[in-house]
Amino acid sequence: VKDVGLAGAGMTTFPDPFAVETPPGAEGWQELYPYYALFSEPRRELEQGKFWFFDGMHNPEPIYPFDTIMTENWWVAANQLTTRVWQVPPAGGIDHRIVNGYLYISPNSLDDPDEIARRLEVFQRRAGHYYENWDEIYANWIRKAEDCIERLKAIEFRPLPEDEREEFVTGHRGLYSSYDLLTDYGRLIENLFEMGSYHFEMLNLGYGAYLTFREFCQQAFPGITDQTVARMVAGIDILLFRPDDEVRKLAVEAVDLGLADVVRHNPDPDALLAAMRGRDGGAEWLAALEEAKEPWFWYSTGAGYTHTDRAWMDDLRLPVAALRGYVEKLEAGEAIERPLEQIVAERKRITDEYRELLPGDEDREAFAQLVELARTVYPYVENHNFYVEHWHHSIFWSKVRELGDVFVDAGFFPDREDIFFLHRNEIYSALYDLIIGWAVRTPARGPSYWPEIVERRRKIHRALRGWSPPPALGRPPEQITEPLTIMLWGITQETIGEWLGAGAADGDGAGELRGVAASPGVVTGIARVVTTPEELHRVEQGDILVCRITAPSWAPVFSRLKAAVSDVGGIMAHTAIVSREYGLPAVVGTGFATQRISSGQTIEVDGDRGIVRVKT
Amino acid sequence: MSGALVAWLDDAPADAASAMGGKFASLAEMTRAGFGVPPGFAVTADAYAAFMAAGGLLDEVRAASADLDRDDLAAVEAASARIARAIEDAPMPAEVADAIAAAYGALCERAGTETVPAAVRSSGLAEDLAGASFAGQYDTYLWICGADEVLRHVRRCWSGRFGPAVLTYRPAGGPDAAGQGMAVGVQQMVAARSAGVMFTLDPVTGDRSKIVIEGSWGLGEAVVSGEVTPDRFRLDKVTLEVLERAIATKEREYRFEAGSGVALRDVPADRRDAACLHAEDVTALAELAKRIERHRGAPQDIEWAVDERGRVHVLQVRPETVWSRRQRGPVAAAGGSAMDLVMGKFMMGVKPEPGREARA
Repeated sequence: VKDVGLAGAGMTTFPDPFAVETPPGAEGWQELYPYYALFSEPRRELEQGKFWFFDGMHNPEPIYPFDTIMTENWWVAANQLTTRVWQVPPAGGIDHRIVNGYLYISPNSLDDPDEIARRLEVFQRRAGHYYENWDEIYANWIRKAEDCIERLKAIEFRPLPEDEREEFVTGHRGLYSSYDLLTDYGRLIENLFEMGSYHFEMLNLGYGAYLTFREFCQQAFPGITDQTVARMVAGIDILLFRPDDEVRKLAVEAVDLGLADVVRHNPDPDALLAAMRGRDGGAEWLAALEEAKEPWFWYSTGAGYTHTDRAWMDDLRLPVAALRGYVEKLEAGEAIERPLEQIVAERKRITDEYRELLPGDEDREAFAQLVELARTVYPYVENHNFYVEHWHHSIFWSKVRELGDVFVDAGFFPDREDIFFLHRNEIYSALYDLIIGWAVRTPARGPSYWPEIVERRRKIHRALRGWSPPPALGRPPEQITEPLTIMLWGITQETIGEWLGAGAADGDGAGELRGVAASPGVVTGIARVVTTPEELHRVEQGDILVCRITAPSWAPVFSRLKAAVSDVGGIMAHTAIVSREYGLPAVVGTGFATQRISSGQTIEVDGDRGIVRVKT
Repeated sequence: MSGALVAWLDDAPADAASAMGGKFASLAEMTRAGFGVPPGFAVTADAYAAFMAAGGLLDEVRAASADLDRDDLAAVEAASARIARAIEDAPMPAEVADAIAAAYGALCERAGTETVPAAVRSSGLAEDLAGASFAGQYDTYLWICGADEVLRHVRRCWSGRFGPAVLTYRPAGGPDAAGQGMAVGVQQMVAARSAGVMFTLDPVTGDRSKIVIEGSWGLGEAVVSGEVTPDRFRLDKVTLEVLERAIATKEREYRFEAGSGVALRDVPADRRDAACLHAEDVTALAELAKRIERHRGAPQDIEWAVDERGRVHVLQVRPETVWSRRQRGPVAAAGGSAMDLVMGKFMMGVKPEPGREARA
């Protein structure tokens, strides 16, 4: 049994956040993160008394210094909606701390009845306005999001010119490349915060409406699956399905153009593109590919919160593997298109049948209204994910890499990827250092300053990757009241009790993990533990994927799997519906699967009851 | 003599319930609706009446049960035995015997064998009515072969009509068991690979959005009588997803063997812990349950069997009687609009209701 960092049997609290040990080789890890994200003596009393849970849903890996921008974004963006904008009556914000590189978050709640009553009035007015005008606000949201993405795409980072450009002189601009570099970086960062703010503008209200419908269904039809609830409200034109749909279309086109053999014989993307160029119809197919790529291949292979989640655009291996699968199916005479009419008809049948099962007219009316409201908000709930985490974030990471090239050109560090070992505020300093060197024509300090720091941080980060974050720290709360914690992360008293119990169980029950039954079915197979997207290629046909969290764009891998198990997974985790599309038994939110299970072990996944058993 | 002495499931009279008894009238209705009911016929209430009249047996029954103290078990048993003896000894009117033998012959012909094994069951006229289940109060004889044996067991069903349990069973306001006619059903046996019961609601909670299937190896009697802990499958009625699947250790099964007939036998070790139904059987049964419920317009309790070839048979159908009569409370708080419910969702942690912890 591996040590999961929890105290012994009979545990009533989680490990003290101040007593967490630094893994060997990671000494000094604190320098990777901003001071305000660390547990600290002056705030000890406050911090020790709270409950902190590991947010593996967004950050399954230790966070890179630059990537804290994502968590720092929602630390403000999501919380300000809760506390200052909507004023969700009983909810405070969700606080953040980084421990050994991993993000722990802590919900706050309000219990003063007068304050709750005051906020309720504000909340009803403000949230009511959004619900009443949802469609119009959402249409406008799309315009804002697309405009934000256009402005992001327009930002370009290039090394500073040896000689300043002539037109800045003849155009009497009075502003030069140094200014552009500095302000472009500023705009890049502001652009992320802008999209980050839009991200949460409608999200929590959308979840709230959807989850109200879900809870109504659970009360009326105990045991109804999340999949079924989602099927009643999900649209068929969900953007998250588009990338996969585009690949299906490309498969049909390849077969129609007589190019199926090219796809079959070239698993390597570069070889495939080269082979296409040499064939009749190849140019046509390549043009179709180019058209599909923008924007649909800005599709992250992860949750989109870290730069290591590469997009299809950067790495064509995943879509090319999917393409090959679809071509093979087409050649075997199988239909690969999603049966849209059937899905729509089924959605209507299911909704009507449940409605009829309700005992009274009052319930039927409430059900009908809730379905309608849930269907109104659901496009946003589903589609924001493509706009924000996939499309915007993927381009954002590619822009940061462009800036990385500027630093590489100036000799600040050897690899464009090294930029991610700098916090965004350190990059400001480094940029200023760079433009000083350019302006003065003397060597910048950076090339002799950053390489050593980058190397040290790389080693620390590697050591942190070997550490297994316990699911929670600190004192368990008497009651979870913060609605978003329950809605988004699925953290309830039950979850906490199970974590405490699992930590206590050293012998008995060690071979069994409990989680959320995410997709039905029971299978036994060989576990393949994958903690980073780069390990995905090791997954073999018929494996059971064991991961911290699944990402929708792992789709091509899912078609090879027998089942999936994850450490984290709230009910609204982005991945749930897409993974169920593949009809695999799945158990999510097990807390410890990647720690308790090793690759090669035989495990049983019971997706009906949310249990994973280690057999050997 | 007012009507036919036998009535076929696939050619039932208009007044099926009074001629064939509740159980067989339901099966006739299922047969007509095209559900997979094994072929069979009822020895009608008129045949029973003819038999009783010919032997003067009604007077015998009245004499035996007059002034019977229903709390005096010895007296009840004595009265029951006296009636049974009279029924055993009474002559069978030739027309009744001929009608039953001819119908059995026709059943054999349909099955394409010389002596088709049959189940002989009583089908009381007061039984299986919505709101008054007499289930288990009557007799069933399995794997009865040959016309003489069928006749003998029909007579046993008639006498079982006056068993001690039936003589004393008289629920408050319920039908008077002693004053009713009865029918006996004769139906081709299904050599069941597995069998059991299913409900078109959750019998534990009354939740109508579920189908619960219980089954075990062999003939369904083991499940019906409670002699085994069956496998249990709980499905969503709308989507037919299996929500819960509890596979029991099934040590015994009712199985026919030549020479010794039907008996409770040990289940071979390799089948004991195996599910008695494949996934596709479960789906087929649930679909069937759903169609039967829709056809009958109310929750049902269905006995089923799956034969060696995987075909599903309906053995008995009755209205569910426990939950159907209850008024169900509303899910939504009275008068609450959808928007109120949504606003309430954000307040879920504020006023914890007992037994309903904030959960998502």
